[in-house]
Amino acid sequence: MSWWSRLYARHGLSGPVAVALLVFFLLVPLLPGKFWTHVSTEILILGLFAMSFNLLYGYMGQISFGHAAFFGLGAYATAMVFTRLKTAGGEIGMIDFFLSLLAGPPIAALGALIVGFFCVRLTGIYFAMLSLAFGELLYYIVFSWYSFTKGDDGIQGLLPPQFFQDPVHYYYLTLAIVIAALIVMWRITESPFGYIMRTLRDNQRRAAFLGINVRLHMLVNFVIAGAFAGLAGALWGPFSRSVSPTLLGWQESGIAVFMTLIGGAGSLMGPLLGSVIYTCLQAVVTMFTSYWPLAIGTVILLIVLFAPGGVLGLVEKRIKARHGAAAAAEFAAEIEAADGET
Amino acid sequence: MAPILEVTNLHKHFGGIHVARHLNFTMEQGEQSAIIGPNGAGKSTLMNLLTGYHRCDAGKVVFEGLEITNRPPHQIARLGISRAFQVSSIFTKMSVAENVRAAVHAQMRQSFNILGAANRVGVGETDRVLALCGLDGKRKLVAGVLAQGDKKRLELAIALAGRPRLLFLDEPTAGMSIDEARGTMELVDRLNRELALTVLFTEHDMGIVFNHARKLTLMHRGEIVVQGTPEEVRANETAQKVYLGEHSV
Repeated sequence: MSWWSRLYARHGLSGPVAVALLVFFLLVPLLPGKFWTHVSTEILILGLFAMSFNLLYGYMGQISFGHAAFFGLGAYATAMVFTRLKTAGGEIGMIDFFLSLLAGPPIAALGALIVGFFCVRLTGIYFAMLSLAFGELLYYIVFSWYSFTKGDDGIQGLLPPQFFQDPVHYYYLTLAIVIAALIVMWRITESPFGYIMRTLRDNQRRAAFLGINVRLHMLVNFVIAGAFAGLAGALWGPFSRSVSPTLLGWQESGIAVFMTLIGGAGSLMGPLLGSVIYTCLQAVVTMFTSYWPLAIGTVILLIVLFAPGGVLGLVEKRIKARHGAAAAAEFAAEIEAADGET
Repeated sequence: MAPILEVTNLHKHFGGIHVARHLNFTMEQGEQSAIIGPNGAGKSTLMNLLTGYHRCDAGKVVFEGLEITNRPPHQIARLGISRAFQVSSIFTKMSVAENVRAAVHAQMRQSFNILGAANRVGVGETDRVLALCGLDGKRKLVAGVLAQGDKKRLELAIALAGRPRLLFLDEPTAGMSIDEARGTMELVDRLNRELALTVLFTEHDMGIVFNHARKLTLMHRGEIVVQGTPEEVRANETAQKVYLGEHSV
């Protein structure tokens, strides 16, 4: 058995896909120019955001259309600490920069705790609508509260320290943080808590009769997902040098939904793969036409119609079909051999 | 010795329909009894009331001396009351072993263990329950693709993984072949005998009821019509009239 097969047997498709993506991400800066390094940084940040969304959708079975609120809260928390710590000349020290990054996840988690307290009382479409309502509420607060958030001007000038102004350096910093976050997420999804989340996805009533406090577990997962979205948001500000209210809007939430659907919600790596496909496609399509929504609309249509489990779901199906055919052939050969003996 | 379960004046109605009418009964530790009655008699509703799925309008439920009336299901489950549903209620996208393992984790109060490896927690207990229910050979199968009889056995395994002291089984053999049903009820008998597990089950198959229950409660239109030993219920005229039929005497 090859190491590749062993990896698949142990971790499913997420194992080999993680290795393939790691190699891909490590090699990206070797490509000529900075364009693909820039695109890959975006892939990683949005991929982390989509993976955090998948903790709710893929593992807990609830779709949130307001998840960008926590991405935006993380981005704004970092941006606000950043602007207070930077010098009059607009520069920020290395320690202050990391401190500002650390501000994102806890503020986003706090926001998720408040929003989640209400959302986890509902399931299905009602959960989705309430999360959307809270997301838009937070968007409107950030948009309107000019004295605190600078309103629709957003917060500009988030220049990272000199060392991280090099796109390759910032890219590797992002890669390191996303890998660390991914390892933590993997541990969570493979923990007893992660399996309890799966029971809530499959059958909440049954889970309650096992002694599971359904709402409390959903709330904890909601806060964890919010914290990871906040981490992604924290990385976004210094990457794009600014933050704006649109980061909290429903369209940003839609990006996480699209990425998860494209890559596949059934596994940890699906949303990251979805981010690779979505962001690369966007980068390429917008080079030639401004009709990007038409392109992504077509992709989503194809995915929903022909690969409802996303790209990873489709590959998994093919592998299982091939294994099934091999097992059937083996079985037929055994019968044939038995017939020959009699 | 005080009864393990005491139900006093339990009442429930949905709109104008009274599905449980001032029910009174007790269960002793180690008892294995059955609730019988025609469809719509209120058997499943009674289980839903006892396990917190429905709220009672009136009355009191006491388990091991502690009042549990209208407590939420997860609190009741943690006290040691487990149940299996009439229509198998399992985690269809998870494997058989994962179904049982999740139940074991819940019982071990490991559900908030966020960074431990799930496949290293409660391994022995998971294996024990799978073996007990004859599901060891199917542990890797996805639960949703199991045959109906296996789904019911998995349902029972999930309920047993909670190490309950009182077990409610709602038609535990529904959808099973004769052999599977016999095996399942023999397992229930064994658990009752060896672990002194108190069992209350509903069943339509009177062969199973009279062979495996030591006490019967006949319900009709939300009321308890008669309670007693199988012989007493079989001989009761009202029981014959509303459910058993006169030929059963």
